[in-house]
Parts: sequence; C-alpha cells; structure tokens
Amino acid sequence: MNHKKYLKLALVGFVLFSATALLSSCNDDKNKTEDTDEEPVDAAKDNIVSVNGELFSIPSPLQSSMLLKSSGANYAKDILNLTSHLPSYSTEYKKALNLGVYGADLGYVIIYGQTQDALGYLNASKRLADDINVSGAFDASLMKRFEKNMGNNDSLLSIFTSGYRATDSYLKNNDRNAVSGMVITGGWIESLYFTLNILKKDFKNKQVVVQRVGEQKNTLDHVIKLLTPFYQNPEMTELTELTDALLELYHEFEDIEVKYTFVKPTTDVANKTTTINSKTEVKINEEQLKNITEKLNAIRQMIIN
Amino acid sequence: MIRKFTIALALIAALVSFGNKATAQCDTVANACVRHMTNKYISDGQHYRALLLDKEIAEFQSTFYGGTTYRIAACSGLGDGNLVFRIFDKDRNLLFDNSEQQNASYWDFKFISTLDCVIEAQIIPGKAPSGCAVMMISFKQ
Repeated sequence: MNHKKYLKLALVGFVLFSATALLSSCNDDKNKTEDTDEEPVDAAKDNIVSVNGELFSIPSPLQSSMLLKSSGANYAKDILNLTSHLPSYSTEYKKALNLGVYGADLGYVIIYGQTQDALGYLNASKRLADDINVSGAFDASLMKRFEKNMGNNDSLLSIFTSGYRATDSYLKNNDRNAVSGMVITGGWIESLYFTLNILKKDFKNKQVVVQRVGEQKNTLDHVIKLLTPFYQNPEMTELTELTDALLELYHEFEDIEVKYTFVKPTTDVANKTTTINSKTEVKINEEQLKNITEKLNAIRQMIIN
Repeated sequence: MIRKFTIALALIAALVSFGNKATAQCDTVANACVRHMTNKYISDGQHYRALLLDKEIAEFQSTFYGGTTYRIAACSGLGDGNLVFRIFDKDRNLLFDNSEQQNASYWDFKFISTLDCVIEAQIIPGKAPSGCAVMMISFKQ
C-alpha cells in the first residue's frame, strides 16, 4: 500500500475515534443519570464543567495588605519572610510554597511603598519561578519594566501580578495543578500570617481586620479542597502533612459564627456597576483568634524553614 | 505491522495537536480578554479557563471581600458578547446575569460585605458550538 492510502486510513481512524469519544461521553452522562437515586434530572447540573479542573478561586494576598494599610497599621518589615532563606529551599514543594510566600511579601512591600525592599522579593520570586521551571513568567522584560517603574506603585503592582498570573497560567496549561495549588496556598498562608501578627500591634481600626480573619473560614475550606486531589499521593508526603495541618487549623474556624442576609443588588447600567448589598456578619472571639494565630504560625514556620 | 504503527502514530499526533490547539486558543482568548482590565484594576494573579462543548456550563466558587470593587471579565472567541455569565450567592440567589446587559463582556461589582459566590459561564448558543471560556477577576486599587 502507498503512503496516500495510509494517510486516508489514519484520517478515517481519527474521525472514528473522535466520534466514539463524543458518543461515549454522552453515554456516561446518561448512565450517571440512571445510576442516581430517584432525583429529578437537573440538566444544568449535568452540564457543569469545573474551571481548570478546580472549582475555586482564592482571594489575592494583596487584598489583605491593602486592608491592613487602610486600617492604619504601620509597615512591619520584621514579619516578612527573609530572602536569605531562599538558598535553603531545595525541593519543588518548598520552592512552590515560598514562591507564593514571597509573592505575598512583595505585594505587602509595594502596597506600603517600600520599594527599596521590593527588588529583593521580586528577585527571590524570579529565582523560585525559574527553579520550578515556570518558563518565562518572570522574564528579563518583566524584570526590566519593574526596575524602570520603581516609585510608581500602581505600575509595580500591575507588573508583578502579571508575572504571577503568567505563572499560574503556565502551570495550569501544563497540568501542574499541584504546583499551582502550592503557590496559591503559600500566598494565602503568608497573607493570613501577617494579618494575624500585625493585629498584635497598635493601630486604629482593628475590628475590620479581625472580621477579615473570621471571613477566611470559607477560603481555608477552598484551599484544603485545592490540595485534596494530591492528598494520598505517595510522592507528595510533605503536601499531605501540610493538608493535615490545614485541616487542624480549620477546626479552629468551625465555631466562628457567620450570619448571611440576602439583599437585592442594585445596578447602575450607565457605569456598568452592580452593588451587591447582601450582608455577612462574622463573630470571632479572642480565644478563637489566639488559637488560629498559634496554629497558623506553626504552619508558616513549617513552610519557610 | 508498519501500517498499524503509522495509523496509531497519526491518531496520537492528531490528539496531541488538538490539545495544543486548545491551549493556544485559550491563550488567544485570554490575550483578547485582558484589554477589559484597565490599569485601575489589579489582577488576582490566577488564570481561569474551561473548554466548553455545546451546552456545558463552567462553574467555580469565589470569595469577594466587602468594601472592594471587582471587575469580572468573561470571554470566548476574539469578539465581545459570546459568553453568558451569572453570579449567584451561596443560597443560589441570582446576583447578576450579563444576558440582561446585552451579554456585556465585563462588569464591575461593588461588594458591601464579604460574600462567597458561584460564577457560571456558558457560550451563547449559535455564537459558537464550542470553545475556550476565559474568566478574569481583578479588584480596584
């Protein structure tokens, strides 16, 4: 047989394979419906697709820094992770988590306009991103733009968050979801760490920051679920330990009272803005705050040391 | 034997090519979508995408902090208006539906209080049978 006939057969094979895959997916959905208990079929539910294979997004660590600054808390460099710890991060686990940690620290430093400290954290982030083979997220062009815009906080924020989004995008496109989860988890742990420890210092509007700690209950639940797919992976024992520690931390949040009241949103069409008027009230007491701080501090020590 | 090997190779190449094309398509959509995020908005540093076929709905959960204005952009294809997106609270009360706003590709949300929400996105039937849905979340400085 000649090559043209081989190619024809290959094309027919591909079409047949694709058709089979599509039909098979339809049949799987049908079987799922037949296997469930006598619940009415919810066509919308059957069509749900998770985004990136995940179902959650985690708020940016920058938002905690912005809240601390607007609440009157002073810049506290002593609470940040030292860049001198960088050489000790030798495993992908430590590198990915601390890429998130240094990212949170970098955001904090920029929000407070401490640009003299920013370059050190950006260099640390770049080094870790390169070490975990995130090709090009913190490339020479980004580094140059950052240096060129020192003193312009808005530009610095835009530049560095684009580096982190590129990191996340690269990891998810290449199915490195465990590493993506670790970066996000590291950032969340660090942002909660500096929130809890800055609360020990004096500043004017502490109550709103305390409320923000209580609001982390659901986010922590999502962080745990983000890491759960890798929980029993024998090659990721450290990640399993971290997940166990986060589950222990979650116990401290369980008794925090959260009261939600729906209020109809209002829309300003001209400005393409909808105001979400619904209310959430969080009640967190001193004892709960103390326990959360102790457990979170221990987790943070585990990942930065 | 050689014939079977060639057929298998062609099938694998076709599947890999399809996978790479899907990622490239998503990157193209993301590059087009990012123009809705002006300098006033800071990215949340995460990347949200889903490949949707026919009537599939992409869904994920997000927490939005009180006292913050967010911009959510949802895109598919290179043009605007190809995606319907809806936001619900955790009790499935509808907070926003862009189909009531000419399928706007982005919208701003001012949260008075911190809320856990569910975001759904679906390609508009007739606009395209399938494709990459990209979502972006940013917050105002």
